[in-house]
Amino acid sequence: MKIVVAYAWAPDPQEASVGADGQVDFSRAKPVVSEYDAVAIEVGRQLATATSSALVGISVGGPATGTPVATKAALSRGLDEVMVASDAALADAGTTRTAQGLAAMVQRLGDVSVVLTGDSSVDSGSRMMPPVLAGLLGWPVLSDVQKVSVTADGVTVERLLREGVQQVSVTGPVVLALASDATQPKAPGMKDVLAAGKKPVTKLEVADLGPAVAEGTVVSTAKLTGPARKGIVINTADPAAAAAELVGALRAAGVIGSTGGQA
Amino acid sequence: MPFQLSDEQLLTRSAVREFAEAEILPIAAEIDRDHRAPLESIPKMGAQGLLGMIIPEKYEGAGSDYLSYMIAIEEVSRVCGTHGVMIEAHTSLASYPILHFGTEEQKMEFLPDLATGRKMGAFGLTEPEAGSDAANLKTTAVRDGDDWVINGQKIFITGGGYAKTFVVFARTNPDVPSHKGISAFIIDRDTPGFTIGENEQKLGIRGSSTTPLMFSDVRVPNSRMLGQPGQGFEVAMNTLDGGRTGIAAQALGIAQGAFEAALKYAQERVQFGKPLTTKQAIQRMLADMSTDLAAGRLLVYEAADLEDRGEEYAIPAARAKLFCGPMASRVTTQAIQIHGGNGYIMEYPVERMFRDARITEIYEGTNEVQRLVIAKSLLR
Repeated sequence: MKIVVAYAWAPDPQEASVGADGQVDFSRAKPVVSEYDAVAIEVGRQLATATSSALVGISVGGPATGTPVATKAALSRGLDEVMVASDAALADAGTTRTAQGLAAMVQRLGDVSVVLTGDSSVDSGSRMMPPVLAGLLGWPVLSDVQKVSVTADGVTVERLLREGVQQVSVTGPVVLALASDATQPKAPGMKDVLAAGKKPVTKLEVADLGPAVAEGTVVSTAKLTGPARKGIVINTADPAAAAAELVGALRAAGVIGSTGGQA
Repeated sequence: MPFQLSDEQLLTRSAVREFAEAEILPIAAEIDRDHRAPLESIPKMGAQGLLGMIIPEKYEGAGSDYLSYMIAIEEVSRVCGTHGVMIEAHTSLASYPILHFGTEEQKMEFLPDLATGRKMGAFGLTEPEAGSDAANLKTTAVRDGDDWVINGQKIFITGGGYAKTFVVFARTNPDVPSHKGISAFIIDRDTPGFTIGENEQKLGIRGSSTTPLMFSDVRVPNSRMLGQPGQGFEVAMNTLDGGRTGIAAQALGIAQGAFEAALKYAQERVQFGKPLTTKQAIQRMLADMSTDLAAGRLLVYEAADLEDRGEEYAIPAARAKLFCGPMASRVTTQAIQIHGGNGYIMEYPVERMFRDARITEIYEGTNEVQRLVIAKSLLR
């Protein structure tokens, strides 16, 4: 039985800068294993150890994804092996095409019981990857996962929802999107760093992932158009006065109604 | 010499930075303020493999190269100079001489505990009358049957408060020239007659335990002699050659931390309606600091790389330390200047870094001793 973690080699948000126009500039940010997916790897490691399963990382992305430093970085976090497809054509592949590639990898691996991912991503943060991947595999998907335990015929997970903690049991294979605070990933140790280079890496070509991936469309992005920000700054030392001013401004803008509650 | 770091060296940097920011940074200011040795960090650093980086896997170490080890000291010192020297003194001064001069039995007995941090190590060379003039040490070891009986005193021993394994130097032959009559011994903390004094109150690296050691008829079996009789001075000097690169890496890391703090402050601090970074006077300081760091990094990495390749590294190591110690003092001073009044108070980290930097010009060979070593190599 295999446990799979889908991870992205993505710019480190800690090194991104935000321009005066609100645009996030990732151009000087060095790539890392996405901090969301690092959580999934950590949870995957615990699950794989508890169930004596192999823990396999899969990743689809641009040329940097397949570099030795990228695969070693992922492996140093506790994966037993990785399978990657990296190509300039996949750099801006978008959610659907990337998910198609990941699904092809899961099918190629076979005998996979669980696919873990982070529940968000560094780039668009659309949280679409887990449901699209699950849809392509024909498997159920659960988001906001805090805890996972493997049962005889599937998994039991805890989801932290606004209403409280929900426990869900699933039979058969499943895609799980881990909440970013499900666990605190441990930094790789020095032995992990040195062992990473000795673990197996399988590299796939775009063509290996099937025609949908090979011929898929490229997604581009455009700046959001919408009403300009008003740029109102409430700069009042007294919290009560600041709250009153905020409520007044929201009412004036029609964001909240004119009745209900005291400012 | 241009350096292209290996994947493993790059990943060592990112892994140690992640660990240091998660586990060390949160306590760095507090241990400094309270002069508290961060004992809770020892098992954590041990689990990360940071206490046995250059020790082979056979002895439970990580088996990293020396340059990776320097990068680790640099990254830890970037957030806390105390933790940097805890790793450095333990590894370079206590584990290293056992690895290089120990018998196989000694290595098997001591290195696994040291490499994992189950026991910390310390190095006892300095005495009240023997600082830079290390060969003038007065501690004696007199042969008595199968044992040596040690009497004397050591001072300024890094890690004295928590170390379990000490590499100690004593005079075993008073009848030969001073440096030829010294031998090295491995001594357990709980040996009868061996006592550890109170922690010194220091200007910087305040969390690092610095104590005197007292030896009163301390009986050590001959099997605990490290190296040959009379080889002690060579053991000490060879150990300090490597230690110099380690302290240079510590200085480099402290300076890097101060530089990053100063750059961030200058970007955020607005005076006369604009960020400090718009002022040429500040830009000039930042440019100088960045150049100092780049130069220091090359010297440290070159010395470490030479050691990895089995080439002569003593003089490059002395150069690295001679440059990086004063460089760290310079860069941390400029970091305070950029912070203005805020740089002088404990709310910001740069005053701590300024105090931590100063010792790197002194311990494991002062600037003056480094110059002596370098000049001697030029004039021979």
